[in-house]
Amino acid sequence: MAASRGIGQFYPVASPLHALDPRAKILATAILVVGVFLIDSMAGFLVISGAIAALVVVGHIPTRTFLRLLRPVLFIVALTVFFQVLFSREGATLFEWGFVEVHSGGLRLGFLLALRILLLVSAAGLLTATTAPVALADGIEDLLSPLKKARFPAHEVAMMMTIALRFIPTLGEEAEKIQKAQAARGANFSEGGLVHRVRALVPVLVPLTIGAFRRADELAEAMESRGYRGGEGRTRYRELRFRYRDALALIVTVMILAAGVLA
Amino acid sequence: MRLELRDVHHVYSPGTPFEVVALRGVTLSVEPGEVLSIVGGTGSGKSTLVQHMNLLLVPASGQVLVDGEDARTLKKSELRRRVGLVFQFPEAALFAPTVQEDVAFAPHRIGLGDEEVRTRVRQSLAAVGAGHLAERSPFALSGGEKRRVAIAGVLAMGPEVLVLDEPTAGLDPATRQDLLGLVRGLREAGISVVFVTHDLDEVAEVADRVCLMEGGVARAVGTPAEVFYANLENAPATVQIVAGLKAAYPGVGEPVRFEETTAALRELLEG
Repeated sequence: MAASRGIGQFYPVASPLHALDPRAKILATAILVVGVFLIDSMAGFLVISGAIAALVVVGHIPTRTFLRLLRPVLFIVALTVFFQVLFSREGATLFEWGFVEVHSGGLRLGFLLALRILLLVSAAGLLTATTAPVALADGIEDLLSPLKKARFPAHEVAMMMTIALRFIPTLGEEAEKIQKAQAARGANFSEGGLVHRVRALVPVLVPLTIGAFRRADELAEAMESRGYRGGEGRTRYRELRFRYRDALALIVTVMILAAGVLA
Repeated sequence: MRLELRDVHHVYSPGTPFEVVALRGVTLSVEPGEVLSIVGGTGSGKSTLVQHMNLLLVPASGQVLVDGEDARTLKKSELRRRVGLVFQFPEAALFAPTVQEDVAFAPHRIGLGDEEVRTRVRQSLAAVGAGHLAERSPFALSGGEKRRVAIAGVLAMGPEVLVLDEPTAGLDPATRQDLLGLVRGLREAGISVVFVTHDLDEVAEVADRVCLMEGGVARAVGTPAEVFYANLENAPATVQIVAGLKAAYPGVGEPVRFEETTAALRELLEG
């Protein structure tokens, strides 16, 4: 029941986007990501931003929740823009103070870069918000399965991802519990300088790590006792089915991308 | 000290699809020096309730009062020292290389001197019957030993109210009996104990009062006899046996403790 919801958080509601095949959504996201790097005009960015905004609505995700997904990257965006603006020497000089120079080209590049990062994160956030972690891992396994011919352990990779994703909230809960237990013993995580705060985390991290190893052991034993022996010949409980609407979603994505590049 | 909860409500993850209403207006007091048991099914709000007692969780509405004063006006560290809270499976939070260092964590944090800390560590380990484990690594202990040590870690703060959330879950009978002995000892020393448990037989033996939680509200609060005889589906074996005899033998009374019940039944048989 951790209160913190951030990037990568699944938002469990029923929507046309949630209903799509995870493979279609992963491919569409990949197409959008590539597109965001191809686009170089303001009009193109407007097209993509508009499309993502529309998808947020179609996905029944409240705008505020979605914007909250972006909050953790704002710092990185600000930092990138800052350096881009300071160190670019393109175009007319707008501002000069000692060795600090701001050029119009730098401003433009910085702005586009910020948009690019935000759109990348939005696209990825949209994928994880509308796709359950397990479905996501299933989709990735399926998309990677051609590589099995080249002895790439697609199933094992997907299983590791599933387990990792599955245990993020569990570890989060565990961390919260331990933090509370230590707070009840007088620990304070929100006061003092950086060194003090890092040291205050030791009583949380030690038991958390020990607990994680114990859990991993238990999980391995539970899986073995239920007959798990790797991906060879393993069938699926949830069969993925690629329908017309999934193909349609991909076509629409390509069209949006084309519109963005040509705009 | 007297701890009082007034119309406490709590909601987890409000405003999200994960929203859960855990408490729907609980009013309850912990009187000085009493043992108050909180019982109820899983998900009835017991654990959420006790976390309000030292404000690890803040009520969505309602108040927590310490000797009549709003607990929010007290310093957090002070409140947490006076109301010691032992979580479910507290051994999951052991972290130091040796038992005595782990138990010393809390008294150090509240700013006691080294000498005083050593005394507290010794006393609280002795109180839980773990004095001989002081030099050991907490990770090499048995489940029951870990539990004792973890409880000592909270006891070392010298709380005026000790809240134990399912302290006997998953323990062997001998360790359970020892912990019940600890609860009785604390009560004799004037410390209030809040005892959350699923084991109604334990409640029957140590509780002065019982609070039965259901669906986020306190359905019944009173002496064990009052609460158990009015809620037989949540009563220990002693009460259920006597209740089954009561219609035919009204003279049996309302015994709760094992000894009282044996005496009442003996009287009935010999009478």
